[in-house]
Amino acid sequence: MATVDLLFAALFNAAVLFLVTAGLQLIFGVQRIVNLTAGSLYALGAYFGASVFEWFSAQGGSPVLLLPVLILSGLLAGQVGFIVERVLRTVYGRDEAFQLLMTFTFVLMFQDVLRYVWGAQPRLLGDLPSVYGTLVVGEFTFPVYNLLVMASALVVAGLLYWLIERTSLGHVVRATAENGRMAEALGANTRRINMLVFVLGSMLGTVGGALVIPTTAASLEMPIALIVEAFAVVVIGGLGSIRGAFLGAIIVGVLRALSLTYFPELEVMSIYLVVIVVLVARPYGLFGKAEA
Amino acid sequence: MLSVERLSVDIAGTSILRAISLEVAAGEIVCLVGRNGAGKTTLLRALMGQLAPRAGTVLWHGNALAGLPPHEVARRGIGFSPEESEVFASLSVAQNIAFGTWTRPSRERPAADRIAFAYEVFPKLLTYMTRGGAELSGGERKMVSIARALALDPDLLLLDEPFEGLSPAIIPTIAAGIASIRASGRAVLMAESNVQHIPDYVSRIYVIERGEIIFHGSLEAARADPLVRQVASGLA
Repeated sequence: MATVDLLFAALFNAAVLFLVTAGLQLIFGVQRIVNLTAGSLYALGAYFGASVFEWFSAQGGSPVLLLPVLILSGLLAGQVGFIVERVLRTVYGRDEAFQLLMTFTFVLMFQDVLRYVWGAQPRLLGDLPSVYGTLVVGEFTFPVYNLLVMASALVVAGLLYWLIERTSLGHVVRATAENGRMAEALGANTRRINMLVFVLGSMLGTVGGALVIPTTAASLEMPIALIVEAFAVVVIGGLGSIRGAFLGAIIVGVLRALSLTYFPELEVMSIYLVVIVVLVARPYGLFGKAEA
Repeated sequence: MLSVERLSVDIAGTSILRAISLEVAAGEIVCLVGRNGAGKTTLLRALMGQLAPRAGTVLWHGNALAGLPPHEVARRGIGFSPEESEVFASLSVAQNIAFGTWTRPSRERPAADRIAFAYEVFPKLLTYMTRGGAELSGGERKMVSIARALALDPDLLLLDEPFEGLSPAIIPTIAAGIASIRASGRAVLMAESNVQHIPDYVSRIYVIERGEIIFHGSLEAARADPLVRQVASGLA
């Protein structure tokens, strides 16, 4: 029974982790920017989601609408990506170190904004997931809210696959990622595509943050805690790969759940031991590709 | 249709093109001949908006092109096939060719018609539509690159060294393709360094040397010009 509970917790963690890292991977895959703000966007989504749901409840909104309200608030918070991308645009084409420094600057600024708007104390929504009840299968009990979040992550994975692999917009995005200058010469507005991709990636991060808020407190430690795990996912799955984000999130989610159960003091080390093994055995991760 | 007046382009402070003037009329095939490094590619890239001119004007159907980003130039009806073909490896042949129909949709010319015409010019492409862009030979990449630019439905096609590096067996196929593009009423401005490759059907040629146009006229006149013969000995 403990094993099933552990696996369930791992998959819930993996679902949220996938959403955030899918955004990070999408942005790197197209724009070649390692977006350190992914953790900050996750925290922003959590704080904003908590505030929006509190406001919604104060207006007499039904708690049953928790999930859609959080998703909408996450999508709304993700619009901050417009501002971040607009500033990042000034360092496109420059050395990657500039882009990394710029996103790091945003991490520091986000930290102050979060502190200024929501204060230093963690914010908790309370036991809201219980409004969705539990699913009992034999001797096992699963919170339905967590199942819905996992299902949402699967839907997002499917939608991302469809968008990138099956639509003309996705083909243009892939071509832009591969050779932006040629795509531009064939009529693709790469500036708009970069904006679109960055905002979509940001929204994945903020939705991930919003969805996690009913199960954990929003705090100023969220960005760093998330980025530690997200980068493990990226290294294991392969930089720029959405499939890699999916598998990497499951691996990191399971590793984290196992270490929290058996060696809580070694949580980060256990994850990064696997990261080192992957870096040595497959430097480009499970699904990553070597740079041409 | 295309009118270039005293166009000058610098790259990293070095003057690459100096006061280039040329014209391309509707339905013409104009060839820009010059040695490697003479400035042919720089000129085509400047026309596409990939390089900003230092001076001069580029008029397209009477409207200035200078300052427009490349995607706006493409959407105004100028297609481009670069020297290295630059076929998207992550897309199939069919997706490469359909690209311009996504970025420049048109009610007057439906995507299906434009794609059909691109395959009409290079029917061989129909046999490997599902193949990935990375799985093509040099000649196949060149055909895809030209067909892809054609599916944009341009009035003018800029072809940078369309025969460069190709096996002699494929060159007649490319030349025939360019001839059928002309037959459709489109204009072509092609850059060429190997004068042996200049098709007989070109309307006019410009010879470029060290960033300046040193000759403009027919292929026959170029062959008779001593200065041109000195620069491009293959014309003799």
